[in-house]
Amino acid sequence: MRRALQRLLGRRRQVLVAATLIAAAGLAVGVAGSVGYSLATGYDRAAQRSDQPDILARFAPRRRSELRARLDRLPNVERISYRLEVNRIGLGAGGRFSRRGAVHVVHPGRRGYAIVAGRDVRGDGAEALVERGVAREWDLQPGDRISVRQLGELRVAGIALSVDNVAFPLASVPRIYVSEAMIQRRFGADPDPDVNIALVWLADPARLDVTLAAARPAAFGLRTEQLLTGRGVRQAIDQAAGIVIALLAILALVACVCAGAMLAAAASAEVRRRAPVLGVQRALGATRRRTVGEQVLDALLVAVPAAAAGVAIGALAAAAPTAALLGYLNELAPGAALLWPLVAAFAALMAVVAAGAAWPAWRLGRRPIAALLRGGDLTARSCVRRGRRRGAGRDARGGLLALGAHFALARRARWLSCVCVLAVAAAAVLLVLAVADLLVSLRDDPGTLGRRYALTVPGEAADAAAVQRIPGVAAAAQRSTVDAADSFSLTEPLRVIAYPGDHVPFEAPPLASGRRLRTEREVEVGAGLADALGLRPGGQLAIQAASGRELRFRVAGIVRALENDGRVVYARTAPLLRDGPSLGGPIAVRLEPGAARGAVVRRLARAGFASRATGGATARNQAFLAVLATVLRNVALAIGLVCLAAVVQTLTLTARDRRRSLAVLRATGATPRALAAVLAGAAAALVVPALAAGVALQRLVLAPVVAGLAADYATLPLGVSAGDALAVGGGLTLVGVIAVLVVTRSALGEPIAAGLEHED
Amino acid sequence: MALRVHIRLLAVVACLAAAAAASGCGAADRAPASGSTLRSTLRDADGDGALEPGPAEPLVARTQLGAPGPAERTLATLAIVSDAHVRDEESPARVPFLDRFGAPVDSTFRPHEALSAQVLDASVRAIRAERPDAVLVAGDLVDNAQANELALALTVLRGGTARPDSGAAGYDGPQRAANPDPLFYRPDVDAPRHPGLLARAQRPFRAVGLGGARLLPLIGNHDLLVQGELPPDARTQAIATGDRRLTRLRERPQLPDGAPAALRIAAIRALLAGPALGPTRRVAADPGRRALRPAQVAARLRAAAGLPATASDALDYTADVGPSLRILALDAVDRTGGSEGRITPRQLTWLRRELARAGRRAVIVATHQPLRSSRGGAAVLRLLDSSPAVVAALSGHTHRHRIEPRRRRGGGGYWLIETASLADHPQQARMLRLVRTRSRPAGLALETWVVDHDGAGLAGTARELAYLDVQGGRPRNLQARRGDRNVRLGLRAPCCGPIS
Repeated sequence: MRRALQRLLGRRRQVLVAATLIAAAGLAVGVAGSVGYSLATGYDRAAQRSDQPDILARFAPRRRSELRARLDRLPNVERISYRLEVNRIGLGAGGRFSRRGAVHVVHPGRRGYAIVAGRDVRGDGAEALVERGVAREWDLQPGDRISVRQLGELRVAGIALSVDNVAFPLASVPRIYVSEAMIQRRFGADPDPDVNIALVWLADPARLDVTLAAARPAAFGLRTEQLLTGRGVRQAIDQAAGIVIALLAILALVACVCAGAMLAAAASAEVRRRAPVLGVQRALGATRRRTVGEQVLDALLVAVPAAAAGVAIGALAAAAPTAALLGYLNELAPGAALLWPLVAAFAALMAVVAAGAAWPAWRLGRRPIAALLRGGDLTARSCVRRGRRRGAGRDARGGLLALGAHFALARRARWLSCVCVLAVAAAAVLLVLAVADLLVSLRDDPGTLGRRYALTVPGEAADAAAVQRIPGVAAAAQRSTVDAADSFSLTEPLRVIAYPGDHVPFEAPPLASGRRLRTEREVEVGAGLADALGLRPGGQLAIQAASGRELRFRVAGIVRALENDGRVVYARTAPLLRDGPSLGGPIAVRLEPGAARGAVVRRLARAGFASRATGGATARNQAFLAVLATVLRNVALAIGLVCLAAVVQTLTLTARDRRRSLAVLRATGATPRALAAVLAGAAAALVVPALAAGVALQRLVLAPVVAGLAADYATLPLGVSAGDALAVGGGLTLVGVIAVLVVTRSALGEPIAAGLEHED
Repeated sequence: MALRVHIRLLAVVACLAAAAAASGCGAADRAPASGSTLRSTLRDADGDGALEPGPAEPLVARTQLGAPGPAERTLATLAIVSDAHVRDEESPARVPFLDRFGAPVDSTFRPHEALSAQVLDASVRAIRAERPDAVLVAGDLVDNAQANELALALTVLRGGTARPDSGAAGYDGPQRAANPDPLFYRPDVDAPRHPGLLARAQRPFRAVGLGGARLLPLIGNHDLLVQGELPPDARTQAIATGDRRLTRLRERPQLPDGAPAALRIAAIRALLAGPALGPTRRVAADPGRRALRPAQVAARLRAAAGLPATASDALDYTADVGPSLRILALDAVDRTGGSEGRITPRQLTWLRRELARAGRRAVIVATHQPLRSSRGGAAVLRLLDSSPAVVAALSGHTHRHRIEPRRRRGGGGYWLIETASLADHPQQARMLRLVRTRSRPAGLALETWVVDHDGAGLAGTARELAYLDVQGGRPRNLQARRGDRNVRLGLRAPCCGPIS
C-alpha cells in the first residue's frame, strides 16, 4: 500500500486527471442513481407508509350500514373503512382560496393516509388534516388555521399524505380531512351517517381479482362511481407524469451505463499508458499477477475517494429537485434508504474501475517484456509508425491542426476509447434533449398523442352540429371518456374514448395491427391494454361498466396510443349510452387546414361557446415542469462533466506522449497559439467522430431502447433533431476548447529542455 | 385342519381384496377418505378467501341438560346429510337472475351450482368412511322438484353412473363464457378462473353410493316445490319442459319480503301469468325436467329407502337404527307452497301414537324444517317435552349448524340439532352417535361432529367457490360456533331404551 501511494504521488498530475474523471463519473452515477431509484420506488414507498388500501370505491352517498352489509360479504377482506367526500367546498388559508375543495369526513378505522407532520385529527377539537400538496402550496404548518365553508376556522392538526392521486396543484382539488366525530358534534348525532367512499384492505392483495369478481353481485344496485385498485391509482398518477418518470428512470440507467463505460475505457487507457512501467516491473521479476494487482490497487486508490466524493455530490445535487418532483406526485423520497443503492452503485463503479485496470494489464502481461518496454501495444506501435510515415507528408500539407489530429490518431487504442466515451456521452445528452423536446410536445402538441382536434368546447352532444357550422371548423363531435375495467380481468383498468361516429377525424393513433373500427360492436384497443390482456385483432374485449353491466366488443385493431399508458379503447358512443344515459364529455373541434385557431376561438365565443386549446398528456403546472427541467439539467451537467474530463485526460496524455514534438515546435519559435492549434487538432480528432458516433448511437440504439422501456405501447418521438445535434456539437466543441486551453497552459508550463529530453 | 385351511383362504381373499382396493380398481372400490373434523378441519386462518387444512376439533361437552359421562358403548351411529340441492342448473324452470335482487329471492344462483351432484358424491364418500348405521337425508335432496334431479340424486346415493347433463349435450346455462351478464360467475373468464369446469361438470361420473348404510330420507320443500316455494302447475311444467329460458327480468319483481307464503305465491303466480317478463333464450327441451307430484317423490324416496309403499303422498315413517334408537320422520312440507314447515294435526296424532310405541328405545324426531319455526311445530315440541324417550329433534333447511337444548319442565330435556347444507359453505354432513355412558346408573349421551366432504375432483372446486359466494355460508356464518358442531351432549337421566 505504501509503495502504491508513493507511485501515485510520483505522478500527481495524471492521478489528478484520473480522479477528476472518476469523480465526474461518480457524479453522474450519484445523480442518475438517486433520481432513478427515488422515482422508481417513490410510489411504493408512499403507498406502504400511507397504508394505501387495495381498493378505493366511490359510490353515490349511502347509509353506512347499507354499504357495510354489502361489503362485509366480500371474501379476502381484512378491513374496510368508510369516508364521506364532500366536494366543491370553499377552502382558504394564508390569502389562498379555492372553491373546488374536497372535505373527507373520516370514519373510525384504518385511515389510508400517512401523517407526515403533526398528528391525526381527533374528535375533540375543531381541526383538520391538510393534504401535503395543499400545505406546500399554501405554506401551511401544523397549528395554522384553515377556513372551511360550513365548518368555519379549523386548526391544522397535521399534514397528510395519500397516494390515491397526485398532489395539489397537479390535482386541481385541494383536499382536507376532518373527523366524523367533529361533524357529528357540529351537525347532530347520526348513528348511521351517509358515506360515499369505501377503503378496502385485503388479506391477500394477490387475490384482488377474486374479491373484485365477488364484489359484482354484492354491489348490485349500487352505482359505483369510481373503483380504484392500486394499479388504477398508479395509472392515475401516471396521467400526470408517468411517461416523464419512466423516461427519467431509464435515462438515469443509461447515464449509469455511460459512466461505467467511460470509466472502464479510462482505466484501460491509463494501464496502456503505463505499459513501459509494467515492462520494467516484469523485467525485474514481478509476476503477471503481481503487476495486475498493483495496477488494480493503484486504480482503486485513486477511484475510491474520487468516486465516493462524486457519488455523494451527485446524490446531494439531485436530492432537492427529486424530492420536489416526488412531492408533486404524492410520493416519498427514499431518505436513508437511498444509501444502499448508492453504495451498490459505488461498488459497481469500483468493480468497473478494477476490471478496467485488471483486464488490459493482464493482456499486456502476456506480451514480451521488450515490447512492453517499447510501449506495450505492438499493434499500436505499428500504427504509430505507419501514422508517422503518413503524417510526415501531411505535416507540411495540413498544418498544425492536422499535426494535432495525427498526434491523437497515432495512439489508436486511446483515441478509440476516448471517442467511445465522448460518443456515449453525446448520445446520452442527445437523449436528454430528446426527452426535453418530447416533454414540451407532450405538454403543448396534441398531435403527439395522435389527437387531430385543436379545441374542445364544453357542451352537449347536440351542440356539435352548431359548432361544426362555424367557419374554420372542419369537424366537431362529442368526445366521451369512461374509466372502466376489463370485465374478465377486473384488476386491469382502462379508459374508453368514444365518439358518436368515426373517431379518426379527431384522433388517430397509429395502427399497430388490424384495422380501424367500422361498427359500434367493434373497438380499437391501445397496445398497452392489448399487451396486458393478450388481445389481438379479432379477439373479444369485455368492459365492466360502472352500472355493473358488461359490454362486449370485437377488437378491430391495436393502436399505439400514448394516452393512459396505452390502456385505452376507442369505441362508438352508442353502446355506452345504452349502459347509462349520463355519458358526457366536451365537444372535440378539428380545424380546417390553414384555419387560425385564434380566429376560430373568437367565432366560437361569439356563438356562445367557450373553448379550450387541446393540451397534451403531461401536467401543465409550471412549477412541476420547472422541477423536471432541473432534474434533466442535473443529469446533463453530470454527463457534460464526464465529457470534459475525458477530453482533458486524452489531450493531456497526448501532450505527454508528444512532449518532444511539442518542445521542438516551441524551440523552433511556435507561439502558444500554434501549440493550441496542434492540441485543437487533436481535440477535433476526438470530438468530430464522437459527435457522429453519438448521433448514430442515440438514433439507432438509445432512442428505440429507451422508448421501448418507457412506453412500449406507443411510438415515442425520441429521435435526434438537427437543433439537438448542433447543440451537442457546440457543447462538445466547448468542452474541446476548454480542454485545449487547460492542456496548452499545462504544456507551456514545462521547460522546453525537459521536453527535448523525452522520446515521442 | 379344515378350519385352518378356511382361515388361510379367507386371509388370502382378504389380502387380494385389500390389494385390489389399494391399486384403485375404480371409484366404487376406492377406500373412502375421511373428512371428519375430529381429525382435521378446513380453515381460512389468514382470511384470504381460500381454505386450508386446520387443526382437529375435538368434542367439547355441553352440559345444559346434564354433564355427559364418559362413553362406554356406542348404541347407534347416524349420518345426517342435509340440503344437497342437487340441481339441473340448465333447466328453464330455474330463476338464477333473481339472485341479484336479494331477499326474498336470493340464493337462486350459486357460483358452484353446476357441481351439486359431485358435492353429494364427495360427501357420501366421506360419510362412508365414518361407517354409520344409517344415513338421514334431511330434505331438499334436490333443488327444483324435477324428476331428473331426483333421479340424479338417488343415483349418487345408491351408487352407479350419475349423468348430470340435461337438455342438449354439454353445458347451456347462465354461466357460459358467452353470457355477457357479469353477475353470474363464469368460470372460463371470471376469477377464480376454472377453464373447462362446466364441460367437466356435465360428464357422467361413477358414484360410490352409501354402501351398507341404511338410507332414511326426509322430504324438503325443494323436493316438492318449484324453487322450494311454488307448487308445480301446468304453467311451471310447460316452462320446465319447454325450449325457452328466461334470461333476465325487465323489472325488479315486487315480491313482499316476510309476507305470508300464500301472498308470496300469489304474487309469483301473477308474475308468471302476466306479460313477457323479459328476454328468453332457446334451449333444448328435456321432458326429464318435469316436476314430480308429491306422491311420486314420496314413492321414489320410499323405494330408495326400502320403506313399505303406501298410498299417502306424505313421507312420515318410523325406522329403527339398531335396538336402541328409533327415528320418527315427519314430512313437514306445506303442499300449498312456501318454504315454512307445517305439521298437521293428523301428523301430531301419528307422532303421539308412535312415541307411545317406541317402548324403551331412545327416540329422535326428524323433520326438514326445524320444529320451532314450523306451523304446528310448537305443539309437536310440547308433545316431545312430555316424552322422556326423545333425545333429539333433527332438522336441516336453515343451512346452518345449530344445537340448542330444549328443557323439560320436570328437568332434563332433549337437543334440537340442525345440520348445515351441502349447497352452501361449509358443505358438511353431521355424524350423530348415541352412546351409553359409564355413569351409575348407566345413562345416555349424544356425540356429534361434522364431516367435510373429501374435496376430490370437482367437489374441491365447488367448496372453493361456495366459500367465496357472497350470499353463501361464509358471510352468513352458517358454519356457526364450535359448540354447534363437535360436541358431547349430556342427557340428564337414563330416559329409556335397552341400553344395557
